[in-house]
Amino acid sequence: MKLRLVSHSPDIETTIATSMKTTTSGAMPSTLFNRFKDRPEKVEDIVGRIELQHGNILEHNRLVWSLEAPRDMVLDVMLRTKYLNFTKLGNDRWVVSGNLRSVIELHITHRDDFTETLVETIMEASPRIYDFIRRSEK
Amino acid sequence: MKGELLTHTPLKKLKEAFPELDWKDLLLHLSYTIAIEKVSRACSHQLVRHRIASFSQQSQRYITVQRLSEKTVVPPTVTESSMDDYLGVIDYASQGYQKLVTNEVPREDARFLLPNATETSLLMTMDGKSLMHFIGLRTCNRAQWEVRELSDIILYQLREAEPEIFNNAGPYCYQLGYCPEGRHTCGKMKEVLERYDV
Repeated sequence: MKLRLVSHSPDIETTIATSMKTTTSGAMPSTLFNRFKDRPEKVEDIVGRIELQHGNILEHNRLVWSLEAPRDMVLDVMLRTKYLNFTKLGNDRWVVSGNLRSVIELHITHRDDFTETLVETIMEASPRIYDFIRRSEK
Repeated sequence: MKGELLTHTPLKKLKEAFPELDWKDLLLHLSYTIAIEKVSRACSHQLVRHRIASFSQQSQRYITVQRLSEKTVVPPTVTESSMDDYLGVIDYASQGYQKLVTNEVPREDARFLLPNATETSLLMTMDGKSLMHFIGLRTCNRAQWEVRELSDIILYQLREAEPEIFNNAGPYCYQLGYCPEGRHTCGKMKEVLERYDV
């Protein structure tokens, strides 16, 4: 099995912070987003204090992977979650995509090579959520 | 009303990584996050009916609605002759809401008095396929005016950001080449196609 993160939404953690504050602050989401873009330390602080609760704050993003894996393994993953999307490229090659919430929830319910690798790939896209996942394991 | 595309996964990168796929194959793997601001709760109820999407909306449990009469949407059909009635009820609801909050009724219960006209703002994220469907339905002449105006604003921004995809988006008659509304058709397909043509 070979899994590689090909692309992801930009500013994932800025969007998470925007989402968190949109629900509770009364400020406009575009104002929050633009304010947070200039203040990474604020984003770090807000996202660092994340609690999952609804989980929807982790849905405003998309990660896209290239996967090389046999059909049986892919079928197994598809049966475990309906929140990842797959496109078959042929010869055991696949496009897979989903959001951070899907990754975390799949990782919580199923620990195997696939979900471990999946989590490892998000370190660059969202380092604080990666830390959150690893902290939660302890 | 405001709609602003905040972030999206760029098509270019995916086309480079998967050259055997075209934009239609990739729609499911693309996502778009849009800030939607100062629309009515009546409008946001329509948005959340699009279930393959994610929403983070201003919470009426956490945010006290201040000066309700300044934070309501007035439909254009409410003209001079009915404006006093409309604003009168808003004002009455506002007073009732404020009284309940002052009397320490929790906001989550006081909000029962807030009307559908109350302004709200939210983040909405959809994949490309769902967004094409959203645009197809909500820019249609038969859609309700507020969500239609919002969809037009969103479509304009999507066409700026990803013209290869969204120059193909518009009401379903524009996307399909025929009107799927059957006997409910507006009968103005030619005019609609001209409006959305690029």
